[in-house]
Amino acid sequence: MSESTLPDPHPLGRHEVARSGTSQPLPGALTSTPGVPQVTRHDLRFTGSAGEYFRLWIVNVALTLVTLGLYLPWARVRTRQYFYGHTWLDGQNFEYRANPSALLRGYLLVGALFALYSFAMQREYYWLGLPLLLLYVALYPWLVWRSLRFQAANTVHRGLNFSFHGTAGESYVAYGAANVAASIAGIFALPWAWFMQRQYQVKGLGYGQARGHFRGDVAPFYLIGLTSLGLSLAGGLVALLLGGVVAGAWSALSGELRAGTDVEDLLDGPTVLIFLGVAYVSFLLLYTVAWQYVRGATMKYVLNNAELGGVVRSGATFSPWGLVWLGVTNSLAQVVTLGLATPWAAIRRTRYVLDGVHVRTIADLDHFRGQAQQPGSALGEAATELLDIQVGF
Amino acid sequence: MTRPPAVTLRGVYFDGHSSRDRAATLSLGESAQLTLDGESHAFAVAALGVDPPVPGVRRVIRLPGGARFETTDFAPLLAWERASGRNRALRGVAWLEAHWVSALTAVGLAFALLGGFIVWGIPALATQAARVTPRGVLASFDEQTLHFLEEQDFIGPSGLPRERQAQLQREFRQVQGWAGGGYPYRLLLRDGEPAGAAGVGANAFALPNGTIVMTDQLVALARSDRELLGVLAHETGHVTRRHGLATVYQGLGLGLVTTLLTGDLVSASTFAAAVPAAILRGGYSRAAESEADRVSADFMRGRYGTTKPLQDILTRLEAGADARDSEPTWLDIFRSHPVTADRVAALKALDAR
Repeated sequence: MSESTLPDPHPLGRHEVARSGTSQPLPGALTSTPGVPQVTRHDLRFTGSAGEYFRLWIVNVALTLVTLGLYLPWARVRTRQYFYGHTWLDGQNFEYRANPSALLRGYLLVGALFALYSFAMQREYYWLGLPLLLLYVALYPWLVWRSLRFQAANTVHRGLNFSFHGTAGESYVAYGAANVAASIAGIFALPWAWFMQRQYQVKGLGYGQARGHFRGDVAPFYLIGLTSLGLSLAGGLVALLLGGVVAGAWSALSGELRAGTDVEDLLDGPTVLIFLGVAYVSFLLLYTVAWQYVRGATMKYVLNNAELGGVVRSGATFSPWGLVWLGVTNSLAQVVTLGLATPWAAIRRTRYVLDGVHVRTIADLDHFRGQAQQPGSALGEAATELLDIQVGF
Repeated sequence: MTRPPAVTLRGVYFDGHSSRDRAATLSLGESAQLTLDGESHAFAVAALGVDPPVPGVRRVIRLPGGARFETTDFAPLLAWERASGRNRALRGVAWLEAHWVSALTAVGLAFALLGGFIVWGIPALATQAARVTPRGVLASFDEQTLHFLEEQDFIGPSGLPRERQAQLQREFRQVQGWAGGGYPYRLLLRDGEPAGAAGVGANAFALPNGTIVMTDQLVALARSDRELLGVLAHETGHVTRRHGLATVYQGLGLGLVTTLLTGDLVSASTFAAAVPAAILRGGYSRAAESEADRVSADFMRGRYGTTKPLQDILTRLEAGADARDSEPTWLDIFRSHPVTADRVAALKALDAR
């Protein structure tokens, strides 16, 4: 990366002039300017580059393989540090400062338990496998809560760390009860679960002494859910038809439609495999489309309805459909390049999202006051990362 | 250690109590001098925490008391770190990350390690792990599997006459004595189609602890008992080489690789990896079949001087299935057994030696 893409390396705090003489931070997160507040808009900027990140990524993948996975926490932390560090808001970047050794302990514990679980299930030792599964289900909201705390407390901007003030009890509502409801009532409760979870995340978020606030409502989540459902149903139908047509064409072309053969003979070997293959690829594609849409649309909605300390509002202008297109093309590129396009895909997506995110503020961003929060144990973070629990937005 | 050169860095200072950024300079020499608003503050160099470098990302130096200094003067800070020996390991990583040569080497290394691990590492490790697994673990395997097969009507009680069964059992004891290994071998003769075509059909298979199941349909297919002994010797090969248990370990190994690649234990990418994993498992299984064929060939050649009976029954089994499948196609990568033509050719090659 060239130096020129970085912001002015020596920003002479432009607020210095206005507040010369005031070396003490102002109390609270509120502006002291009387009268009508001036709204300032700051766009997020992302300065990461695909080439630079490719090198970081592949070197860390190779090191992870060489060390039989022990280096994985360092790889994860460096990756995050790269993305956070290249994200700029009003001349200052973000920082991720998790301790890889702490993460390693969590990874080893979670990995060992998971290995035990898969061994038990493969050997059909249900007396061992099922209690492990139950333990995981019972601890899931707690793990999410620990993970959110860990992530927030390890995120730093302008020398202050973020924090998370949601409670474990609330997590058992948002991630426990809501997920149970969603698994029973399916699409009828799933959007509500999304809403509860996003609200839990945003309301619990803190930066210094400022607290997050979520102005959003549950209805738009249902709209997102319905759109995604319609998309899946229509896509699934198309995929089935496509699979049938391709398999049928194969069976006709390969001369399997001989006289006297019955249906059972047709439904064997290559024909079925081709049908399954088309269905498999279509399902992956459909999953990517539907999931990317839900992710993109909820992220946009949440960003458009989040506040911090009553003085900062975030906003998003990116299009969820743009993200869907990015998700599909990224996945295809990754498959075609045997995964080597993964870093390029990640940079492309991050750039697209962050170029469409801004904050509006009625106070200068340097008026926040700090409040430390210890990240706590890394167990929750290790569990959510390894078990691919989607937390954060 | 050489004395680090004195460097002066320009950057931003945060006091850690507020989000206010202030321009500052930090001089690193005998001691650390922070110049802020014209005032100078001194720290012991040892009290500074220098975060490891990440490509292109602003560097962070932690000052005592929760304050921090951030700078993009990468080169002088790196020179100072090098001289004072800080962040050795991660500075090395950052150096590797900064060069295309090392990145391309990493690509080659990653593919070689991964390929080598999948092709040789996992089978070797699984075989080794299967070999050292205590005998007691195997015992429960057989009963559970049999119970399952009977419950699902895949196999049922044999319809063979009592004398014929006794004769096959006598002959099996020869194979059993030859195979050795101290397993509690037993031959179970079963009907392969107790509920019509849904059963296992003409088949024989071995369970890890030495239980070998052979179906009436296979017995009927054989033109001589030599053919059946060839099949039984093949199955004892699965037992003595512990292929059943190795399969379990191979599954775990492939799971580990998937985890390393996707970075997640469970995720959509794990689902996407299911097809490649199935192909690899098919490959491992084909290797095990070929190994068991070689075991059987040892037995057959030692006893009859030829593997012809085994070739014959394999060919007949194939003909009983579908003739179309006998020609190799790209879909063979999914198969658990090698194409019969290949197996027969391999046996012929062994005979010719």
